[in-house]
Amino acid sequence: MLRTGTPKYSFIFIVLIFTIILAGCNSKTNESSPSASVSASSSASESANAVADKTLTLSWPKDIGPLNPHQYTPNEFFAQGMYYEPLIDYGEGGKLIPKLAESWDISEDGKEYTFHLRQNVKFSDGSDFDSAVVQKNFDTILANRDMHSWLGVIAQIEKTEAIDAHTFKITLKNRYYPALQEFAVVRPLRFLGAAGFPDDGNTANEIKSPITTGPWVLTEYTKDQQAVFTRNDNYWGTKPKINKLVVKVIPDAEARVLALEKGDIDLIWGEGVISLDSFVSLKDSGKFETAISDPVASRALIVNSSKGPFADLNVRLALQHAVNKQALVEGVTNNVEKMADTIISSNFPYANIGLKPYDYNLETAKSLLDQAGWTLPEGKSVREKDGKPLEIELVYMGPDQIEKPMAAAIQSDLKQIGVSLKTTGVERELRNKRMETADFDLLFWGTYGAPYDPHNFVSTNYEPGYGIYESQQGLAMKDELHQQMKDVLLTVDEQERQKLYTSIFTILHEQAVYLPISYLTNIAVYPNYVKEFKFPAHRDETPFDTIDIQK
Amino acid sequence: MRWLAYVLNRLAMMVPVIVGASFVCFLLLRASPVDPAKAYLSVSNIVPTEQAIAAVRAELGLDRSFWSQYGHWLWQLIHFDFGISFFSKLPVAKELAARLPITATLAVSSLFIAFVISIPLGIASALRKNRIIDHISRILAFLGASIPQFWLAYLLLYFLSVKLDWFPLQGADTWIHYVLPSFTLAFALIATYSRLLRAGLLESMEEPFVLYARARGLSTYKIIIHHVLRHAIKPVITAAGMNLGKLFAGAVIVEQIFSMPGMGGFFLESVYHRDYPVIQSYVLIMAIAFVVGNLAADVIQAYLDPRLTQKTNKGE
Repeated sequence: MLRTGTPKYSFIFIVLIFTIILAGCNSKTNESSPSASVSASSSASESANAVADKTLTLSWPKDIGPLNPHQYTPNEFFAQGMYYEPLIDYGEGGKLIPKLAESWDISEDGKEYTFHLRQNVKFSDGSDFDSAVVQKNFDTILANRDMHSWLGVIAQIEKTEAIDAHTFKITLKNRYYPALQEFAVVRPLRFLGAAGFPDDGNTANEIKSPITTGPWVLTEYTKDQQAVFTRNDNYWGTKPKINKLVVKVIPDAEARVLALEKGDIDLIWGEGVISLDSFVSLKDSGKFETAISDPVASRALIVNSSKGPFADLNVRLALQHAVNKQALVEGVTNNVEKMADTIISSNFPYANIGLKPYDYNLETAKSLLDQAGWTLPEGKSVREKDGKPLEIELVYMGPDQIEKPMAAAIQSDLKQIGVSLKTTGVERELRNKRMETADFDLLFWGTYGAPYDPHNFVSTNYEPGYGIYESQQGLAMKDELHQQMKDVLLTVDEQERQKLYTSIFTILHEQAVYLPISYLTNIAVYPNYVKEFKFPAHRDETPFDTIDIQK
Repeated sequence: MRWLAYVLNRLAMMVPVIVGASFVCFLLLRASPVDPAKAYLSVSNIVPTEQAIAAVRAELGLDRSFWSQYGHWLWQLIHFDFGISFFSKLPVAKELAARLPITATLAVSSLFIAFVISIPLGIASALRKNRIIDHISRILAFLGASIPQFWLAYLLLYFLSVKLDWFPLQGADTWIHYVLPSFTLAFALIATYSRLLRAGLLESMEEPFVLYARARGLSTYKIIIHHVLRHAIKPVITAAGMNLGKLFAGAVIVEQIFSMPGMGGFFLESVYHRDYPVIQSYVLIMAIAFVVGNLAADVIQAYLDPRLTQKTNKGE
């Protein structure tokens, strides 16, 4: 029965062999895809000189991506934003700041934009920034026009021409006032050096290397682990005070907090990068500086006026008075987000028009519902009209850490006025599908933010297909409203534009087709040796150009 | 020879399982109500205009028929080409090649740690039944079964990395980066394996051959190591075979917390993006990992206990 001659530790031996073989397979995954010209340097000597060198290390949830200025995911917004430069920059309150274009002229009919390009600007490979390279960039962008059709100005471009070495003209098919704001967006209207283009000149799939006019150059890259940017000492503009930027990929939010506490990173910054609880506890610890930006975008509920109880204005108004937004902002976001009274925050262009906020008042809400014919039968807790209970559905994104608790809080708010709210958590793509088909009563939604709004906001309102236009079909003045939205984008005169925006925002506010909840903000946490941290006005831009380190 | 025939037979049986898995996965993905072209656009923050959707569909090959897409994929697979990721636009094979070694190292090192700790622990608690070492092992088993992995991971990071600075917080560059994540994964396994082994040993100790061995004057140590262990270890081997596949699937939570760019996080991301080529390849690799894990367990079992192969051969 027993075979004494067999190897005694055979199974351990097999496992050991297996371990050794597989461990041997593991090699450092140093990929060079974003840059063929990246020169690796000794990281050991770098870390030794970290203090003298003024290196800022920060965490980011994802890899920076291939740094292709004309493409979308997996390119990260922030990396494209810090790396490449636009013709025009977007400043506080929507002010347009000359960047690679020193100045510009607009023809009287509002269709021809002539840009006078900044002279003596060099790319990181030493080549000149001139109208030829601008043309090359526009050629590939326009070759993939369909992909970029979401951006109004690209759909409007009729032709582009290099007038001379430093003059570039863009002709639009129609007048389109937000053209200048849209030249400030992060992608795809930024400029890659000629040598970075693939041989066929089309950057739709890949670039050869990330050649930029910007203040940073990628010098080291390990995919999914870390990227090192070094200051471009030939940069034409104000050079950053720090000379090296290390971006470590840390996917887990709590691990990011631990990394900051350990001193592995010097900055946590961005939108939703750590839980709001962690933000508050880091702030309360007293060990770190914290900052919250001005509103960068809005969080709201879309109220579907095309069907069900919300077809009645009084029911929509009752909702505005019944939801305790202050409690939502305090309880769910720890005041990191700011309470919103209007769908577009007043720090956005054309939005500061003094709309009167709806106050939180349950009695007003109840009487509005009574007026609408939804009354509370004795002994019941849900209002009824013609024997039908007042039931509505709120669709939210299931895994979202903010939307879910907010939905629950709104549910209990509405219960107090006799409205039964069903909250339905769905996955992101299903939520998008329900939005597009206007298959909801209430749905969480966010605006695009700076520099896209308010013009992008109005175009998503009047264009069918996104679900917002569909949800506004219950409005008596819908045609007039949507016409005003189309007209405002074609205006040349500032006063006329303001007048139209005032009318649009007023109608949306009075008709209560949005329930603004809060304004999203960026947060930052850093130790006190990080100085002069300042949030950029642009939602997707980075604060690295002003930061200093003084240890 | 019997053993070899058994292994070959089992290897041949892998093929239909893997082909079946590939087809089911392909079918299920296409039955999903979500259009990957739209998913791509929404992840990119692009408004999904009709032109943009059509452009992306054509680019990703989604405008072709189901069978044409499946046939194309199988044809590529035969040539070891896993296709191009919708998102990174890089070959899936290249993406996987960068991540698989990290996950594999993590899987094997955690199994290794689990064996190294649980085997002596299991033997000791069987020999010293209801004594202190057995109680300790029992408490460990309770902890292993009840402590959530993410919590253990944070505890280890907080105390051993942030406070004591013995281990790095993130990365997968050197062996030291693997210590904490491997231990986190191994902890639950140690609990299971040591208790399985203890139960197996106690049962085997009642077998008649142990009595004969004792009658031959062999020491308890010799009996355990040379004779009883090879029987008692079998359930542990089976469990490890199943765990191997699971560990290869990528310990999503552990990889995320320790910032290790392995398979788990990558797969999660591709599900989120509806990145068909990656999801398909991943499911295929997982099917292979599970089949190979079970096969390895069975082969080791057959080696330890030749009666298993005899049965198979009789059945043929």
